Amino acid sequence: MKVYVSGAATTKFGELWGVSPRHLARQAVFGALKDADTSESRVEALFVGNMLSGMLGGQEHLGAFFAEELGFTVPAFKVEGACASGGLALHNAVNSLLSGQYETVAVLGIEKMTDHKPEDVATALMGAGSEEERGAGATFPGLYAILARVHMKEFGTTEQELAAVAVKNHYHATLNPNAQFRNLLTVEQVMRSSRIADPLKLLDCSPISDGASAVILSTKKKKGSIEVAASAVATDTLGLAQRKSLTEITATRVASQKAYGIAGVAAGDIDVAEVHDCFTIAEVLAMEDLTFFEKGEAAGAIVRGETTVGKKGKIVVNTSGGLKGCGHPVGATGIKQVVELVDQLRGVGGERQVPHAKIGLAHNVGGSGATAVIHILKG
Amino acid sequence: MQSPVKIWRNQKNVAKLVGKTGTILSWTVVRVPPGDFTDQAPYPVVLVDVGEGKRVTCQLVDYDERHVAVGQKVVTIIRRVTHPDPDGVIPYGIKAKPIV
Repeated sequence: MKVYVSGAATTKFGELWGVSPRHLARQAVFGALKDADTSESRVEALFVGNMLSGMLGGQEHLGAFFAEELGFTVPAFKVEGACASGGLALHNAVNSLLSGQYETVAVLGIEKMTDHKPEDVATALMGAGSEEERGAGATFPGLYAILARVHMKEFGTTEQELAAVAVKNHYHATLNPNAQFRNLLTVEQVMRSSRIADPLKLLDCSPISDGASAVILSTKKKKGSIEVAASAVATDTLGLAQRKSLTEITATRVASQKAYGIAGVAAGDIDVAEVHDCFTIAEVLAMEDLTFFEKGEAAGAIVRGETTVGKKGKIVVNTSGGLKGCGHPVGATGIKQVVELVDQLRGVGGERQVPHAKIGLAHNVGGSGATAVIHILKG
Repeated sequence: MQSPVKIWRNQKNVAKLVGKTGTILSWTVVRVPPGDFTDQAPYPVVLVDVGEGKRVTCQLVDYDERHVAVGQKVVTIIRRVTHPDPDGVIPYGIKAKPIV
């Protein structure tokens, strides 16, 4: 049996102070249903990817909450895996179809973060770390900064090279009407931005965002359907200190190797990828751990524009603008990545279309790498 | 959320990690802290190799700027982590200070 994305939609990402989570959910899910040309009565289950509804919104029981809002009286589930909640919800939805339980389901990724002050959001996000890391006063920029410093020492990666990731992703975001930041950046601007957790600066970091994205999955193929050729998950220790390696996100490596095997493709076959660039160093690590580049060689390739749209490299990365340029409403990100790939594989990516894109990969990470989710899509 | 029960239960783990010597493997300086740490920022957070295949992530205290470096020898000590919880129990935890 095969599983297809038959419809996909996303809201604009950004500081959406005038909009409620209920409104965002309706816009994303009904948008995806319209795109799938499917009536809501066909939806047999709802999977919601979300991280912080309890800590920030005081609202748990999120499956029922959004089922009520959408008018779906179907089984509904919240799936949580920190910033990989969206990808993890999709994985569970795919499995529910492969089990034969359902034929059509809706998957919603959603997060409302900007209603709260940054210190409170930072505290809530540290729920994805270990107790030891919380006691150390660490933050996620801080944990990725620790990984960045190891990478810089081991492979000679520089802060300017890291800045090139943000520059590329902002460029892509200028081509995406739904992106949070539609302004170009320079390496100098990134280098001059205020320090957050040395060596990471403000413009190395993805923003705090609001947004929702949704896909309709079906076991029936129709016009515009995109095949989910693989859905794979790997898990590692919550805390950085307990990891075997500090020069890679091992969960990314394990999940992607599993996914390549399931889909019957090699890393070199991927035309377009949406990867989890929560911080600039994270995209460099992803390029290497997904085996698009050898260890220590990704940063240089990004600087040379080899992963930028329109540059005729072997793979184009984060055409949506990534987490850095498009925004990072954490539960929505994993689904937005798939929405972007669906556009690319249908050939409707507009100015940011990768020519002749046939195979796409989405890479969604939770915490500092405790969860990694890979989806491979075929057009 | 803190609670007296959690703080009490965690003391056993804290005690096991006190007095370990180790080496800084990597570090950062947190300048935008979580809410409970706003009065302490900026502060260094270090990843320390304490031997026997064990590593710990903690704050560095009692340091000069030159001590915030990969390879610096440190020793783990017990310190107050953040503010007392609403019931007045003070949370203690592990931090590291340079061996000079």
